[in-house]
Formats: sequence, C-alpha cells, structure tokens
Amino acid sequence: MSPASRKRPPVELLYLAVLLAYPLLVYPEDALFRLTEISIGMQLTYIFIYAILALGLNVVVGFTGLLHLGIAAFFGIGAYITGILTVPAYPFQLGFLAALALSTAGAALLGVLLGAPTLRLRGDYLAIVTLGFGEVTRFTLRNLEEITAGTRGLNPVPAPSLPVAMTVPLHWLGIEPDWSLDYRLFYYLALGLLLLVVVLLRNLEHSRLGRAWVAIREDELAATCMGINAARVKLSAFALGCGLAGMAGCLYATTLTSTAGPDAFDFNRSIIMLCCIILGGLGSVRGTLLGVFLLIGFDNVVAPILDGLIQGADINPSGNPLLTFSNWKLMIFGLALILMMRFRPEGLIPSVQIEAEMTKDLPGPRGIRAEAR
Amino acid sequence: MTPPLLVAAVDTSSGWQTFLQYALIGLTNGALFALVALGYTMVYGIIELINFAHGDVFMLGSFLALALIGAMAKYLGWNWGEPAMIGLGIGLLLVVVPLFCAALNVTIDRVVYKPLRRAPKLAPLVSAIGVSFVLMNVGLLWGGAADRHFPDLVSRQSVLGETAALSFTVKDLMVVAITVPIMIALTLFVKTTRLGKAMRATAQDPLAAQLMGINVDRVIGATFALGGALAGAAAVIYGLYINTVSYQMGFQNGLYAFTAAVLGGIGNIPGAVLGGLVIGLARSLGSGYVGERWTSALVFVILIAILVFRPAGLLGSRTRDKV
Amino acid sequence: MSRFLPPVLLIALLGMITLIGWQGSAGGDPELIKIVSSLPRTGSAKAQTDTIVNGIKIALAESQSKAGGFEIVYADWDDATAGAGQWTAEAETANAARAVRDPDVMIYIGTYNSGAAKISMPILNKAHLLMISPANTWPGLTKPDKGDPGEPAIYRPTGQVNYVRMVPTDDLQGPLGAAWAKELGVKRVYVLDDNEVYGKGIATLFIEACQDLGIDVLGHESIDSKAQEFKPLMATIKGEKPDLVYFGGTTQSKGGQIAKDMVAAGLDCKLMVPDACYEEAFIESAGAENVNDRCYVTFGGLPPEELRGPGRAFVEKYEQRFGGKPEGYAIYGYEAAKVALAAISRAGAKDRAAILKACLAIKNFDKGALGTWSFDANGDTTLKTISGNVIHNGQFEFVKLLGQ
Repeated sequence: MSPASRKRPPVELLYLAVLLAYPLLVYPEDALFRLTEISIGMQLTYIFIYAILALGLNVVVGFTGLLHLGIAAFFGIGAYITGILTVPAYPFQLGFLAALALSTAGAALLGVLLGAPTLRLRGDYLAIVTLGFGEVTRFTLRNLEEITAGTRGLNPVPAPSLPVAMTVPLHWLGIEPDWSLDYRLFYYLALGLLLLVVVLLRNLEHSRLGRAWVAIREDELAATCMGINAARVKLSAFALGCGLAGMAGCLYATTLTSTAGPDAFDFNRSIIMLCCIILGGLGSVRGTLLGVFLLIGFDNVVAPILDGLIQGADINPSGNPLLTFSNWKLMIFGLALILMMRFRPEGLIPSVQIEAEMTKDLPGPRGIRAEAR
Repeated sequence: MTPPLLVAAVDTSSGWQTFLQYALIGLTNGALFALVALGYTMVYGIIELINFAHGDVFMLGSFLALALIGAMAKYLGWNWGEPAMIGLGIGLLLVVVPLFCAALNVTIDRVVYKPLRRAPKLAPLVSAIGVSFVLMNVGLLWGGAADRHFPDLVSRQSVLGETAALSFTVKDLMVVAITVPIMIALTLFVKTTRLGKAMRATAQDPLAAQLMGINVDRVIGATFALGGALAGAAAVIYGLYINTVSYQMGFQNGLYAFTAAVLGGIGNIPGAVLGGLVIGLARSLGSGYVGERWTSALVFVILIAILVFRPAGLLGSRTRDKV
Repeated sequence: MSRFLPPVLLIALLGMITLIGWQGSAGGDPELIKIVSSLPRTGSAKAQTDTIVNGIKIALAESQSKAGGFEIVYADWDDATAGAGQWTAEAETANAARAVRDPDVMIYIGTYNSGAAKISMPILNKAHLLMISPANTWPGLTKPDKGDPGEPAIYRPTGQVNYVRMVPTDDLQGPLGAAWAKELGVKRVYVLDDNEVYGKGIATLFIEACQDLGIDVLGHESIDSKAQEFKPLMATIKGEKPDLVYFGGTTQSKGGQIAKDMVAAGLDCKLMVPDACYEEAFIESAGAENVNDRCYVTFGGLPPEELRGPGRAFVEKYEQRFGGKPEGYAIYGYEAAKVALAAISRAGAKDRAAILKACLAIKNFDKGALGTWSFDANGDTTLKTISGNVIHNGQFEFVKLLGQ
C-alpha cells in the first residue's frame, strides 16, 4: 500500500458497509432469491467461513511460504471437536464460545504436533506430509466410529445461545431470534469473526513476527543469519494457520448443525482452498478474501443458477450430460486456474513483495530465486 | 508391523502361506504404482514440478484402452476370445496407448508448463492442478460418472498349478512380466544413452547443462514423453488387471504413485520403484493384519514416519538447499 | 476515485437487481403450489435419481399438474456438487432452507441418502413442511430404538412428525436377507460394508439376524469405498472359506469391484447385496460374467417385471414415455408424488401444516402403484414387501417374496 492511499479512507470500508447493510435491507436478498432461487445471504455465510479457513492457510503458504496441502484436516478437526463438545450424545454439551475456543486451540495444538517433527523438511516433502496427514485424519474420523459416529457425522450441533440482552436489539432490527429460521444470525456471527481475524492478521502482518514469516519465505538462510529462530517462527505460523482452520471448522459445524461426514474434509477441499489464495494473491489478505469470494461463489452460487436456467429453459429434455452445466464445472475451474497462472501468476491482488518477484525476469531455465523458495 | 490379528487363529504354517499371498498381491500392485510413480519422479527430477495431472493422463489412457478394445471388436472384427488375438491385441494397446499418453503429456507441457518455466514453483503447481481438473472433466464426459467395467481378457489360470496353496495367476504374471522389463529398460536408457545422460545433467543443474550445449527444452519434452508413455503402459495393465476404470481413478492412483515417488526420494528412479513396492506391500499387509478400512491411512502413516526419520526419502540423498 | 468504482458499481447493480426482482409477483401465487425434490443429480447416483425424477414427472402428468384446485409446479433440485461427485451437507442444507423460504413450496420430496435426510429433516420440521422420501432406509430416521440413541427425536425439534417414507427400512431388509441366506443353505458368511450410514447399518442388522439364525459370521470388515481394488481382502476372506459374502453397500461404493475381485481371487461362493445394488449400473460395473447366477439381491418392493395392476401400468407408461426400463426406485418416486398430490387435494388449502396433517392421516392409500397401504405413527409405510432376486444372464430375475 502506498503511503498516499493509506491516508485516504480505505475502500474496504465501503465493501464492509455493503456486507453489513445487505441483510438488513431485506429487499435485495428477497429480490435475488426470487430471481435466482438461491439465498445469497446464506451462501455469503459459507463464504465468510471459508474465508477464515483460507486466511489461515494464507498464513502458512502465503506469509511463510510453507506449502500446506492438508488444511482441510484441521478444518475437520475443528468441526469434530465442536461436535464432541456440544452434541447431546456426549456429556460435555458446552456452549458455542467454549467450543470455538477449544476447537481453535485443539487444531492449533495438532498443527504444532504435526509441524514440530516435520517442518524441517524441504518444501515439497512438507507438502506431501501435510497431504498425508490430511488423509490419515479423514480415515481416522471415518473409522473411529465410537467417537466420531463414522460417516453419519455428529449431530445435532446446537446453535449458540443468544444473550438475553440481544433480543431487544434483534427485534428492533427485525431479526428473528431463531438460528435455524433466520440466516442473518449466522451471517453476522461469521462476518464478525471474519472481521476479527482480518484485523488480527493485518496487525500481525506488520509486527515483528509477521516480518519474520516473510523473511523466512524470502530467504530462510539469510533470515536465520539475521538471528531469526526459523523453527520457532515456522511453527508459530503453522499453529496460527491450523488454529484458524479449526475456528472455521467450529463455525462450519455450528452453521450446518452437524459435523457433516469425514468426506467433507478431504484433499479436494484443501486444494480448492489453496487455489483460492493463489488466485486471489498469495500473502495478501485482501487477495485471499477476493479469491474465496470468486471461487466458492462460482461453485455455490453461479453454478446452481446456471444449472437452474438450463433446466428452466427446457433445452435438455433428454438429460444429455453434455448439456448439463454441472458436468462442465471442473473444466471451467481448471481452465481458470491455468489461464490465471499463465497471465497473472501473482494473483488478482498480490502482496507487494510477491508481485515484485513474480514480474521480475529471472535468469536461467529455472531461476535462482525459484530455487531458494 | 502390528502383530497379526486375524491370522492369530490360524496355525503357523498356513500363517506363512497367508503372509506370502499378501506379499505377492502387494508386490504385483506395487509394480503398477511404481510404473505411474516413475512418471512423477522423472518430471520432478528435471523441473521440480509435482505434476498433479499425471494421474489423469493415466486415467485417460485407460479410457482409450477401453474404447480401443470395443472399437477393434466392432470395426476390425477382432476376436478377443482367442488367446493369440488377445496377446497381439494387448501388444497393440501397449503401443498405441503409451503413444497417446506421451503425446498428451508433451502437449500439456508445451502449452501449459513451458511458459511458466521461469515463474516461481507454485505457478506451475497450480497449473498442474488446473490441468488435472480439465482432464478429469474430459474423462467424466467421455466415460460418464459411474465405474466402467474393463473386459477381463487375461486368463485367471494359476501359474503355480491348480492345487497350489498360493494363488498367482496368469493375470498377475502379466503385470510383472510387463512392468519389470519396462523398468529395467528405463534404467538402462537413463544410464547409458546420450539423451539419458542429458536428462541427468539437466536434473542436476539446468543452467550448467544449457551452457554445456544441451538443449534443455528438448530434454524436458523427452522427459514428459517418457513419463506419459509409462503412464500409458500402466493404464493398459491397470485396466486388464483391476478391470474397472472411472474418471476418478487418476486422482486416487496418482496420490499413491506420488506418495511412492516421495517415499523413495523424489527425483530418484530406483527410489520410485522401491516406493511403489513399499506402498503395494503396506496396502496388502495392512489389509491382512490391521484391517481393510485402515489400509489407506496406514500408507500415509508410513510415509510420514519415513520422512520424519529420513527427510529425503528412502533412497534420496540429503541435499542442502542451494544458497 | 477509480478505487471506489467497483464497490459503487456493486451497489448500483444490487439496487438494479432489487428493482427488477421486486417487479415480479409478490408473496407467491395463491393458485400455485410447488413440489420440489432434493436428490443427488450429479455424480454416481444420477442413474437412480433420474428414474425417481421420471417417476415423479409421470405422476404429475397423470393429474395434468393439478390437485385440489391448485396448479402444481415441480422443481428438480440437486443436493450433490460436481466437485464432490456425491451429496454434500451444504447443498442439502441450502435446498432445505430454500424450500422453507419459498412460500410456494408445500412439499419436499427427498432425500436419496439417509445421511442427507438427517440434515434437512430438522430444518423442514420447524417449518412444518412435509418431507416424503422415496429412498431413505436408515431405520433411525423414523423408528425409536432402531437407530442411534436420541433418534428420531433429534430430527423433530417441534416434536411432531413431518417426515414420511415410501420404502421399507433396513431393519426389515437386513434380517430377511439373512433368513433367505439360510434357506439357500448358507452356513458360513463373511460380511463387508462400505462404512457409510446405509451400508454399515444394513450389514449390522444382517449380522444380528445371522447370529439369531445360527449362521456363522466369520468376519466383518468395512472397506474404503475410494480404494481401487480389494484383492488382499479377498485373499483373507478366501482363507475363511465362507458360503456367502454379504456386502452392505451400493453400486457407487464399489459393489461391482467387490464382485469381480471375489472372482479374481478364486472366491467362487455366493454374494448377497441389498437394494442399493438393485440397478442395471451394478451389473454393468461388475461385469455380467462375474455376477451371473451367484449374486443375490434383496429389494424393498417388487421388481418392475413382477408388478401387476397399477404397478404394471406404471412400468408401461414409463417405458413408453422415457424409453428404457425404470430402475428399482422409480416407482417410489411415482408413489411419493402420488401421495403428495393426494395430500394437497385432501387439505384443499395452500397451507403447509394442513397438507402435512392430511398426509399423515392417509389410510389405505391405493391411488399409486404399490398396492394398498397406510402410514404408521412414525411416518413409515405399512408395506413390508421385500423381494429376493438373482442375477441371471446379465438381468435381475425375481426369485421369491421374502418373509412370507
């Protein structure tokens, strides 16, 4: 960010205002629902949750430069910790805030346990270890039926309890105080948590720790020579990233009222999240948010709308798979990634350093810089 | 390995027999994983790219093999019931499908990865994921969403005699008889030929190789062609051996093959073979002694354990990051 | 100001959409009732759900899309995503919320997967929206003490029943399958399941029945339905020398691969599979030569060829309109839509609670294709027909009615 733009009111506040006002205005949501038959507000809630997950991943991959291919596992761990702590089948039955804190801490702790012995591995070896851990987690959730209820998932995860003080302002805003009937409660909960995370990361980014992360990403050896404890710095990034993923998982389970099944936390999810942050711009908080908005929005909103239009137009009475939009989704997704990497590898809103690196013409067939990363 | 749970009830002599049976199945499956893993490892060795699309090239290869078998019967009147015709037909498939996969792999490299040679590593990696999605979609449109049956052409007669306690069929033998020579030929190729030497030189230091007059682009193209051909051969054998193909098989097999490559030390050709065999064994012994539902988890636990103690894989040499 | 252009454009766009959307009809059309279905329409279950949807369409066409003076429209919703290739919790939640929110939606036909029903049931329950499943067989969705602790009350936050189903549950099919196995002379079985709600549930019930009937259960393993082959597992099973292998699972969770790996390992005993494998796709994926005359399939209801009277007429209509034979569940889609139309006629009002009440009160229903039946207090059908079939010449062949 240039010094000049820092003084002007940041444009993000305008977006935030739109997001805050959107559900309260009611009319846009209703109109969109009538046109598309999709509750944009509800889909935005999921997008906020995935944004928290992606921001966590961005700390590990974007800030610190460690390729993490198993973030979905920590998302799942958060969801299942929440499930175990809240569902009626278990004796704990804690409230939402306690579950949120413990899911975040639990996922962070597991991240540290995985990271401590493996973070010294070189880039791609670390990637495969995280991938492997992701798969092991999925199978463990699936097979330890006595604890996780296997593929049935733990349910029902109760909604957070509303403080009595909230009922009056909610009534005043026209929001029904029932979490499953009015999407806006989860909407604001997820948006609020996302805001907290964004502010936290914005501050961390420019702190001593944040600069240490970037230093490790740029050149681990030089950073170590400057007195940075690489192991500890990497581990802190890993813990924070996994913790945020756990927090997103808790929110996910609470919103769905179920932990869903273990397959909701598979490698595919990790890859999609990785694509989100790379598309948006590695190492950039704004970029990550945009990436999630575009990719998840495409999958959850644009694709069903297009499918609905094709169905409604009745151009495909015989059910020809070539004429079903959803059968082309992977192709579009894949092409978008390829074109993006070809023409704008630094992402849509890149971080300043990464943009400088990516646009610099590097010497040699592979480039010395590429080697160091 | 965990103590034998299921076999505990059986007496010791048949315990050994069961163990041998699992080992045989594991090694046969492992040879297949190894063949796919070689493609990963060769590409990684040269351009340090985890080629996520490799498994999907393999998947399209098996769809092509399936389509060819049908087309040959329909248009050429090929009799897939007669042993000689089966042998010849499989031979033909083993030429056509690898050629197709090699061409596909080279095209992907030229169109997608080549412009990114100078970009940092994540850019080609994400492109590879993108290519994988595109190829998977092609497979979905080509073969449909459901599992497809691949004709069972190879005899299930036992080669050890019908009365033998161990089961090792002509079909199992086919896998070994095709994969092992391919691997030996590959090793010799890389060790002795000019192109093989150029590949090794490029893998070690592309800049220096270029300065020594090696056409690095051609070497990279040749590597992709070779990796694709291996995947194509694996695709034919896989179809004949497992008898099911689906558009998602590339992902799962690719994951195992990639794991095998890393396990052995990525970039290392004997390492990929060893890694494939270890994974095949881990799966079959895991199924026998730990429980079928834990097999996949077990593969990755072994992977993590090995990497913690040998951070560069089983046969990989410990290299320090260049500064 | 260029930085502010995108958000300003966004706001302008939202405003425009609001204006356009607002000009449409407000608050729904009083003459119109919408029936929706939520089924996995992408991925591997598509062949089955296609025929369910076709069954629904036939029922609507028969009544000229009219019931109780209302015009009926039908929307076919997907609870699967292309990325997952199967149903997802998010898509099912979104569908349920969408149905609750749309004032025209009076009936929700679904789900195909029992796991999905667990997620949408509580949401629809709160809105008193009638949910009719053409395919869920997990007993816990309706029957106390037959599923997990707390079921089915946890799916009914209002305490009232809003979920009914057309198919007999697994606690009938599993045990009747075991009894049939005994009749076939089976003394030793090995049981596999796909580790999913449906497959594991039915396998467990099968095992319990086997123990009661004195059939030896040699072992029970869950498979990983994403694995490519099961050769080592088959070697293990071969060592146990069973007379029959039971697989609690579906075509999509590798039923076909199990059948062919058995043959490949030289395990030539019988194989028994439940209704989720009762579809052409199962024979296709297994390869007919691997299942002919050794694969036994249980199915809730009669196979299309065996149907008489209205059932026969349905099959003929289906073949005439869509060409090709209906899969096993098509008739349940048809029956579900018939029940939906009857409930609307009986209620005679565009009111969710009234339609729900009218539906639960249905007794001796005979307008559909399944014969005469009623709903019991849990919302289950009183129909308990389970048929036994064998695969012969690459076709399902009806053998007998089980449990009679």
